Amino acid sequence: MEFWRKIMNIDRRWVYLLIALSVTFPMIVVIKFPVEVTPVARQLYDAIDKLPDSSVVMLTFDYYPNAAAETEPMSIAALHHMFKKDMRVVTLSNIPLGGPTIAERITREIAAEYDKVYGVDYVNLGYKANYNAVMHGLANSIESIFPSDYTNTPLKDLPLMDSVKNYDDIGFIYVVADNATVDYWIQIVNAQYGVPIGSGVTAVVAPKMYSFVNSGQMTGLLGGMKGAAEYEKMVGEEGKAIRGMDAQSMAHLAIIFLVILGNIGFFATRKKEGKES
Amino acid sequence: MKKTVPVVVAFLAGFVMVISFFFNTEQIMNWLSVTFGMDSLHGKTMEGFVLQWVTIVSGFTLVLGVFSIVRVNARAVAKKSEGWFYKLLTVVSVFAMAIPAMLPVSKDTVGGKIVFGIFPDSWRALFGTGPTSIYDWLFTYLDQPMMETMFAMLAFFIASAAYRAFRARNAEATLLLLTAVIVMLWRVPMGEAFLRLFSDSLPNYIDLFIMNGFNVAVQRGIIIGAALGAASMSLRIMLGIERTYMGKG
Repeated sequence: MEFWRKIMNIDRRWVYLLIALSVTFPMIVVIKFPVEVTPVARQLYDAIDKLPDSSVVMLTFDYYPNAAAETEPMSIAALHHMFKKDMRVVTLSNIPLGGPTIAERITREIAAEYDKVYGVDYVNLGYKANYNAVMHGLANSIESIFPSDYTNTPLKDLPLMDSVKNYDDIGFIYVVADNATVDYWIQIVNAQYGVPIGSGVTAVVAPKMYSFVNSGQMTGLLGGMKGAAEYEKMVGEEGKAIRGMDAQSMAHLAIIFLVILGNIGFFATRKKEGKES
Repeated sequence: MKKTVPVVVAFLAGFVMVISFFFNTEQIMNWLSVTFGMDSLHGKTMEGFVLQWVTIVSGFTLVLGVFSIVRVNARAVAKKSEGWFYKLLTVVSVFAMAIPAMLPVSKDTVGGKIVFGIFPDSWRALFGTGPTSIYDWLFTYLDQPMMETMFAMLAFFIASAAYRAFRARNAEATLLLLTAVIVMLWRVPMGEAFLRLFSDSLPNYIDLFIMNGFNVAVQRGIIIGAALGAASMSLRIMLGIERTYMGKG
């Protein structure tokens, strides 16, 4: 019984060490279990894949840098998918910190692989404050909300924006977010303006989004790094998410092991304490 | 006056957005344009005006935020209060990120002509937010790694908290614990492979019954409750009953 009491009061640094080992071990030994694609992720992939080539798609970078491990691979895989299909991409962010800069860096990197030209094949609108107003405003006129792009080039000087004036010219909006902005994309842009929306969100946000997918307000969903890995698999571009799956698997198993261990200790000591009293 | 003007502004802004949901305000603006000879209103919508104002006002709130953070921290630095060095770093960081982002990158603008008249072309990296700018470098190699590190540390605290607090103390806690363990297994390839040892369709059942079943039922309840709360709060603000946004009860 003393053993379980010791286990129950174990120094938390041993827990930290176990988690550290569980995420670093797969970096040395690659295990690589197959990534199975869930129906909601398949739905998102199909929605984009079925769009006619050279359609205009809006990709949002509504996430802070701290969630980039989960969300950045989603954005990268989406850009591969879109550029492979010769789609024209308009990116924007409703997050002041990080979103526009990440969008600029990632989009230029992926676009270069497909010889896409800025202003013709893709445009980064950047950030404007108050996402509620921005989402409503884009329905009237993109130029009224974003007179210039992220690098202060007026929209009238960007050929792509000649044919993209408002939501009517956009075939699909792919929201990558780590916060509540995705709710507003659904409530405002899908519900009021009828633009189809799919999303890639952090694992914490994903459970809430299932209700929107279920009601048909959202066309497909990627949840957390696993969702990103599923998308990478479908696009055929193995990236950070698939590589990160081993570490995430080990971390989940380590936490499950700790929860089971903690509960065995809990019952063992409770039984003993019950007998003593 | 201090109370009436904000209430009137809130009412008008809210009212325009509500009627724009039900009516085509472009026709109203066209009628105003013809009747009163105001050509600038032709083809515009009422909500378009309100939303443009809101975006501009929101921009100013960011400026207010910067002013506030600088004032609070600069005061602490001047007084050399506890942790003043970190506060100094905060102020320096604010300006290190904000100033390059505000400087013009094109020589065609008035600001650009002045800046590039002073600095040589080789200093271009100091201006703007482009991929080769100092702003981009600071963000990519300092800001983002620091934020990711802070967030990654959560994994350790969550693991420790799960070990100490996640106990099957009663029926509800046991149900929660079992569901959490099943979903955690299902969300990773290794766990999914383990679940398939029992039945090939077990992961699909988890998706169907837990995520699209119990989860959706509960989430919908929360979403509808929150939406009703937001609607009633909006109405209270529009009617001037709720005035806490003015800093008073």
